[in-house]
Amino acid sequence: MQIAVSGGKGGTGKSTVAINMTIALRERYDLVLADLDVEAPNDHLLLGVELANEEPVELFMPRFDYSKCTRCRKCAEVCEEHAIITMRDGTPFLMPNLCSGCAACEIVCQVPGAILPGKKLMGHTYLTETPYGFPLVTGRLLEGEERAMPIVSRAKKRAQALGKELLLVDTAAGTSNTVSKALEDSRLIIAVTEPTPLGIHDGELILRLAKLMDIPAMVVVNRSDLGDVGRVREIAERYGAEVIAEIPYSENIIRSYVEGKPIVLGDYPEAGIFREIASRVVEFLGGGE
Amino acid sequence: MQLVIASGKGGVGKSTVTASLLYLLKDEYRFVAVDADADAPNLDLLLGVEHWEEEKELIGAKVARINTESCIRCGICQERCPYDCIKVIDGDYVVSELTCEGCNVCGLVCPVPGTITLEEVRSGVVRKTTTRYGFPLISAQLDVGRPNSGKLVTEEKEWAKKLMGELGLEHMIVDSAAGIGCQVIASIGGADLTILVAEPTPASLSDVQRAYRVVQHFRQPAYLIINKSDFNPGFTALREWAETEGIPILGEIPYDRAIPRSMSMLKPFVEAFPDSKAADAMREIAERVRKEILK
Ligand code: SF4
Ligand code: SF4
Ligand code: SF4
Ligand code: SF4
Repeated sequence: MQIAVSGGKGGTGKSTVAINMTIALRERYDLVLADLDVEAPNDHLLLGVELANEEPVELFMPRFDYSKCTRCRKCAEVCEEHAIITMRDGTPFLMPNLCSGCAACEIVCQVPGAILPGKKLMGHTYLTETPYGFPLVTGRLLEGEERAMPIVSRAKKRAQALGKELLLVDTAAGTSNTVSKALEDSRLIIAVTEPTPLGIHDGELILRLAKLMDIPAMVVVNRSDLGDVGRVREIAERYGAEVIAEIPYSENIIRSYVEGKPIVLGDYPEAGIFREIASRVVEFLGGGE
Repeated sequence: MQLVIASGKGGVGKSTVTASLLYLLKDEYRFVAVDADADAPNLDLLLGVEHWEEEKELIGAKVARINTESCIRCGICQERCPYDCIKVIDGDYVVSELTCEGCNVCGLVCPVPGTITLEEVRSGVVRKTTTRYGFPLISAQLDVGRPNSGKLVTEEKEWAKKLMGELGLEHMIVDSAAGIGCQVIASIGGADLTILVAEPTPASLSDVQRAYRVVQHFRQPAYLIINKSDFNPGFTALREWAETEGIPILGEIPYDRAIPRSMSMLKPFVEAFPDSKAADAMREIAERVRKEILK
């Protein structure tokens, strides 16, 4: 079973919600948290742990054996990323940055051995134990690499392979197809947003994506005293989602964030809000065993 | 000159800083602003844009479609899709349009010719307006569930270059996306320099370091603006990092409620709250940008 925490806009406190919710839920479920914000993964920092058990994510990358290649250009024609350029005589060259590792070129090449299976490192996945009794899986894209999709998909698989009762997914911001990949198979999406015009605009997009994917959504309004929560409610209602929590701007949350100590574990009044979010989730999922 | 503002992490105030910087530079310089965060554009909102003068649809994303009539349900496409985008729904093989990368591997391996076709779909819009401050803004909005491609940003920059020619503008100021993926690479690639915005937290430091590696990859100079600089007094690692790397700090903006309040008013904070301490800091930064960068 999987649920996802997402938010249209970066910096809305999505990771704070994901982490505190996970900690609050750990008593009800045997769970794993997956940080699929692979361009800027931060959950480990918020949990105060160092990433461990690194595994490389390597993708196919064509290497040409020019002694065999007949310069037919088929590989270049089929490459949707235009990662292969050909010289006037048809000699193919790869521009490694553009290559997505899909292997379409290898599939069409009719000359055995003209394309050799090279590899390129795209990033890493990690499996880190946390002091809170659940593991964290993290995907991390290598700097200079453009394609987040393979890392998202591999990190998700690694988390799924643990076979936990509940998988919590923390997605990237935005609504691109890497976010849909992270959301896929979720029973519920917790959309974190802010009541500012920017937050509302981006929050609406994530609700639209949830609707398109046919996944029920609940809304958490962060920094709820910054604007008009009524507007968020209106939009949520339009998409059949309910606002389940309002988190006011809070120095305590910032302090706990900076100290790497999840707020849900302390006695600050804000801890109650996260516990309440967790119990709404439990209720929705039909209770944990 | 092409100047990029990047941060690695979302939510550190990059766009609010950009909007205020644009506001402070607008009288002296002729530039076009580009919002290169096509996945979550917001510069238009921060600059109070209400309508677009021109909009171009961007067709270019591709998704595979399976013809269930001719499909023999062999499952090869599902096995070979590099991104697990093919599902079996009620016995039919179906491509999940919202995750497909359009690589066409499924089409190449399918044994029944013509069963899988790659179709071009809309990936979003690129649009242009003249802001109430007089300078033009190019922005884009990616459609929900489309591959986040650098092509959109490249398209935006092309349009911006055209405008520079037509209107005789000297500079392009690009507000890059968060993260370090294709849009950021397309933003930073071809630029003259990058201004990084970060806040003093471990998460922001880690992300800005990653963005800086992209800048280094393109061998460009970088500058740093520290936002919410008094937010975490014990945290000195950000300044130390900048010093070690030799990245000049253009200025520090203290945490100020004027900034979130100005966001709700849809105005740059230097315009909405010119007397705030954040605005003071921002004016000093703009001064250094004048003296050291735009000259
Ligand atoms: S398809 Fe194979 S033979 Fe043809 S140009 Fe490419 S590598 Fe050479
Ligand atoms: S693996 Fe895919 S993206 Fe890379 S060169 Fe071959 S066809 Fe192009
Ligand atoms: S086009 Fe590529 S990503 Fe899309 S379904 Fe086919 S194999 Fe998968
Ligand atoms: S490979 Fe072709 S025939 Fe086989 S299941 Fe896929 S679409 Fe159907």
